[in-house]
Amino acid sequence: MLDAFKNSVDYLSNPTISFSLLTVLTPLLFPPTDWFDKINRKLRLHLLWTKTGCAISMAVITFFFAVGFLDENFSVILTKADNFPIILMFYSIFFCTWLAMHKAYINDERLEKGLKPSEYNDPDDKVLVWPDLVYIEFIALILFTVFLVVWSILVAAPLEEPANPASTPNPSKAPWYFLGLQEMLVYYDPWIAGILLPIFCVVGLMAIPYMDINKKGDGYYSFKERRVGIFIFMYGWIVLWLFLIVLGTFFRGPNWNFYGPFEYWDAHKVVALNNINLSEYFWVKLLGTGLPDNILLREFVGFIVVGIYLFITPVLLAKTVLKDMVKSYGLVRFGALMTFGLVMLSLPIKMYFRWIFDLKYFVAIPEYFFNI
Amino acid sequence: MFKNDERYWDINLLNKWFAVSSIIFLAVTVWVFVDDNDDEFKTYQKEFRKMQIKIAETKLVQDSTEIASDRIIYEKELAIAQENFDDRKEDLDLLEKELRTLKNRHYNENMLYQGQKAQIDALKFLVEADNAHGASHGPSHLDDYNTALDKLDNLRLIREGTEIEISEKEQIIKQIKSQVKAKKDDLDVFTKKYTLTKNTLEKIDREKMTIGNQIGDIVRDLPILDFLDPYYKVHQIVVADVKYDVNFAAVPTVDRCTSCHLGIDNPDFSDAPQPYTTHPNLELYLTSSSPHPINNFGCTSCHAGKSRGTSFVSSGHTPNTPEDKERWKEEYDWKKDHHWLTPMLPTRYTQASCFNCHSNTSDLAGAEKLNFGLSLVDKAGCNGCHHNEDWPTQAKSGPNLKKVNEKLSEDWVAKWVKNPRHFRYNTRMPAIFEQPNQETEEVTEYNNAEIAGITEYLFNGKDKKSGSNSKRFVGDIASGEKLFNAIGCTGCHVSENNPELAPHVDSYYNLTKVQGPNLIGMGSKVSAEWLYEWLMDPQAYMPETKMPNLRLEPQQAKDLTAYLIKDKNKPFDDLPDHKYSKEVLDQLTVNWLKKSNPEKYAIQKASKMDELEKLNFVGEKSIRHYGCFGCHNIDGFDDAKPIGVEITEEGSKPVGKFDFGLFHDIEHTTHAWIENKLRTPRIYDRGKESEHLDLLKMPNFYFSEEEIEAITTAVLSFNANKIGEKLLAHKKAPDIYKKGHRLVKQYNCQGCHLIENRGGQLVDQIGKPEYGPPNLHTEGRKANPDWLLSFLNNPSIIRPNLQAKMPSFHQISDEDWDAIIAYFQHMASEKVHYRSEHQFDTESTEFAAGQTLHEIGQCNSCHFYGEEFPTGDAPTWAPNLAMTKERLNPDWVHEWLKNPQEIMPGTKMPAPYLPDEAVLSAKGAINDWGSDLIKLNGDTTKMLNGLRDYLWNIEGSNNIDDLVKTYFDKNGYDFESSDGDDDYDDDDDWDDEDEDEDDDW
Repeated sequence: MLDAFKNSVDYLSNPTISFSLLTVLTPLLFPPTDWFDKINRKLRLHLLWTKTGCAISMAVITFFFAVGFLDENFSVILTKADNFPIILMFYSIFFCTWLAMHKAYINDERLEKGLKPSEYNDPDDKVLVWPDLVYIEFIALILFTVFLVVWSILVAAPLEEPANPASTPNPSKAPWYFLGLQEMLVYYDPWIAGILLPIFCVVGLMAIPYMDINKKGDGYYSFKERRVGIFIFMYGWIVLWLFLIVLGTFFRGPNWNFYGPFEYWDAHKVVALNNINLSEYFWVKLLGTGLPDNILLREFVGFIVVGIYLFITPVLLAKTVLKDMVKSYGLVRFGALMTFGLVMLSLPIKMYFRWIFDLKYFVAIPEYFFNI
Repeated sequence: MFKNDERYWDINLLNKWFAVSSIIFLAVTVWVFVDDNDDEFKTYQKEFRKMQIKIAETKLVQDSTEIASDRIIYEKELAIAQENFDDRKEDLDLLEKELRTLKNRHYNENMLYQGQKAQIDALKFLVEADNAHGASHGPSHLDDYNTALDKLDNLRLIREGTEIEISEKEQIIKQIKSQVKAKKDDLDVFTKKYTLTKNTLEKIDREKMTIGNQIGDIVRDLPILDFLDPYYKVHQIVVADVKYDVNFAAVPTVDRCTSCHLGIDNPDFSDAPQPYTTHPNLELYLTSSSPHPINNFGCTSCHAGKSRGTSFVSSGHTPNTPEDKERWKEEYDWKKDHHWLTPMLPTRYTQASCFNCHSNTSDLAGAEKLNFGLSLVDKAGCNGCHHNEDWPTQAKSGPNLKKVNEKLSEDWVAKWVKNPRHFRYNTRMPAIFEQPNQETEEVTEYNNAEIAGITEYLFNGKDKKSGSNSKRFVGDIASGEKLFNAIGCTGCHVSENNPELAPHVDSYYNLTKVQGPNLIGMGSKVSAEWLYEWLMDPQAYMPETKMPNLRLEPQQAKDLTAYLIKDKNKPFDDLPDHKYSKEVLDQLTVNWLKKSNPEKYAIQKASKMDELEKLNFVGEKSIRHYGCFGCHNIDGFDDAKPIGVEITEEGSKPVGKFDFGLFHDIEHTTHAWIENKLRTPRIYDRGKESEHLDLLKMPNFYFSEEEIEAITTAVLSFNANKIGEKLLAHKKAPDIYKKGHRLVKQYNCQGCHLIENRGGQLVDQIGKPEYGPPNLHTEGRKANPDWLLSFLNNPSIIRPNLQAKMPSFHQISDEDWDAIIAYFQHMASEKVHYRSEHQFDTESTEFAAGQTLHEIGQCNSCHFYGEEFPTGDAPTWAPNLAMTKERLNPDWVHEWLKNPQEIMPGTKMPAPYLPDEAVLSAKGAINDWGSDLIKLNGDTTKMLNGLRDYLWNIEGSNNIDDLVKTYFDKNGYDFESSDGDDDYDDDDDWDDEDEDEDDDW
């Protein structure tokens, strides 16, 4: 029974499956359209945001870790001091998301009934910065310091010996907060995964207030009034960032191979990596010739695909489904929004191309270290 | 406007929260301090302090009882002196008062003097300025200056007068006090030990401290304040000459082991438990008088481990046994530190570290396991496949196969290669085939084809001679057996069919017994003709053989041949002829060709070869593949490169670089990997799906557990540790010493001789040291090097009573002999290599006295004088004294005469009787001892010099080989049967015997 559970978890954690599951689950949990909302109601997924839902979810997470601690393979990973924050992250992220969604659902119901959001209900419910807020923050500060100190006493910092080039750890993992980036390196060239995408993340986050022209939901929790925005953010945040961290922490073992959480990290494991480039698909597989010597000629299909994706898609969208949006957003804002959105989407797209077609790069110019 | 009383939160509630969190915060802060100061080593130090107090208290009681009775006497004397002193108290008071006044006066006088001196310096400048630049600035200062000088003199005299008075007074006071002081000093000296213990105790035992010190003792260890001078602290030794490599920067090792191993250099703690116990060998290690003081060597230079660790786990302890490991896990929460490359060596491998600084010898005192391991590395021929810069191979460890056609049959070779143990159960030849990773039918078939190929290659193009077994080469078996046991064969060989009785190779000593092969089943292996010729002249068949020439007479060689050849190995003979499948041979040929050809060409090429060509081709490839040339000289492989990994720094290879295979039952440590590799060389292939030519191929030597441990020690000793020049013991000896030492090992000199107190098993077989090959202790100082070289090149009889004979090593070049002699000289600390002829005066009293001593000592009853026979019986015969002047170093002869037993324990040479002064002055002494001896008046040095000089004057033939041989040919060894131990053989020829020169006397 327990073995069956472990085996199925191992099976499901395979990135192709788990990532797809999350990708499907996200719009169901945070339905961006009425259609998804209907399914959500049908599957009663909205019950997750009730108190019972919270309790059950917390119990499931705890059960997963409890089984993990008792498992000889998973416990090795779980009890590493480095990975402690990830365990905490499971709880804290879930709780914060739950709290927001819980309150948002209550407000949504109230708004439907024509009431004001619960935040508006009590005109006396206000807080003074001095002394109330500062005092509360100070107390929180003290308690959090206590927590950090106790943590540092009980769990020694995972400091190791001076790095030795002759003896590198396998797997070599980045600090936990960078594991998402490290996971992106599997699919993208370092300059994209390590530089371009992080810059887009940061700049994109900074740009959100300028992009968001939806005036609703200011000062109170609400899902319905901002469901597209919340869905996009949640997909980027939970699936494309946090999940990749979890993946890097728990599911990546020696040689950066995938291992299920309950699987033994056998360093001998070999995975065939027969990835090929788009140019090879085009010239060799499709046309049955060799690769042209001219680099630009060789890669022209890749350039066209990337060009269409980045430049033609927004135009097409603007002329068709998003016509209204262009009108309300204006061209510049729409363009920027598209750029950030398409770059974000390029990650899962590339992942699926890798998994389904063994695609290495759309554009591969290793001569100049330029690969997309 | 801000209203102070405006609140929307319950401030009291917040106050309560604040109060509670602050209290928690305070508690956590206290916890931080406690946690931070609760180091593991402090617990040990506290416990150790208690033990120290206990030991000091016991000592104190002992000391005080020891001195209890005599102490009263000292105290009484002191009391009397004190009484006398008290009587003069009034005088003393007066004197001291006067002294006080004088001193006050002197103080003032001194001030005046110094003041005047300062004035003079100022005036001096003015005068000198006048002298240089002319006195143009007013009146001259010279007069003032001179007046001032006079005044200064005056002041000085006054001061000196007072000083004299003071010293006189002080002298008197001192005298009055002197008696009491002397008695008090006596008492102090007598109670010194007791006082020291008492002081120590007062320093460590809080109960015995003053209240002030008690407070200090607590305060010094308080958090934060303990940066000043804490009692409980990390103890560390910085070892400048032992470096640790941190990312290419070599930093000195900092050993903190003594933070917990507190009694390590204190003999008082020898019975204490770990970690307090004393080091087991303080004579050799740690103490300042030992060769390895702790301040120069630290701990981790030998034991390895993480030197900066201050807890059980962080210091990199490695358990020696699985039981230790379990216990440690339980008691200390022990786990392996994966990030530290040099974990502590398990105690059974600590000797590996000796090699860091002693890389030029395998005879290191106290490192028997390492010695044995290094010898085995040579013996097993590890370096044939695994290059090693620091312990390079000296010679191929197996026989030369270039003329194998003259010695063996193809059938025998094939069966032997398949499994050498079928012929000789304890052979040194490792098994290449029939190993666990070759058990599948496919691989077995390939192997059969390979064996056929190897055999064919070795015999290809050579005459297949099968030597004759004619009676011309076979003598008497019984005489042969006697000879085998007497002449010295057993110095290197055994002939033992029973595995139970064969020497168990668990030490270097036993290893010397099997220097050569176990001579069993020879009748199934070689022909009488070959064996006879081999015995007569081994170098004729194999110029570089280690087998020496015993200078046998033809009849002796025949007898030995008869004895050796009579034993046949029936089961081996009955094994079916070696067979292989032609299809497999074809496939194997193609497989090899495919390595450098496309398959199409490979098949084409193979199809053009006939079977013999294929065999030959596969044979050549297989020899290269399995590295047969690592141990054997084989045609076509003279320049072949070793096939194994280099092991120069194998001991430092990070454990992650070892392939432990697919199974998890072997502990991931370097030593466990090596042990298992040696025990079952193909073990790491378990479960792997490898092609036949990709299988692991290290052959199986079937090492005993003792051998495995020793070789593992040696391999661990080959490392990359960085030790400063100052500590490298091998740098203190010339390189030629190492070469000579290695040659001595290579030719197994220690099979017969005791050298550096090791070896000499032949002597033990014979029983009494005087009938066995001599102990080569002090050889380098004893023998004249010129003579030694000529003897080694052409041995002749030194000790006529020995049956074993020193063989001729014609294969050793002069250059190598030079190294061997240099090695002997180094061993004996001999610095002088060339000596002028020893000069003496035959007219001197000493010489005459020597002659008398010589007559009294009856040297001629044992010793030959040139061709003059001793008066005693043959068993007691001793070296020819006519050789002395050419052979020995006069200084050594003096030493030898003084005490022969010390130089060569067990020798039958007695020390000559030397009359002492009392005997010589007795009545009638002149009749007994003669006037010359009496004149020397009991001076033993002169007597021994006289005796020595007398020996130098003995003339006669140096070579008595023929004489001795003729004698024994005629008379036989009549003492042979009387004493089983002696084991003499009358048909032995006895011409020279006795090994390199050497002692006798």
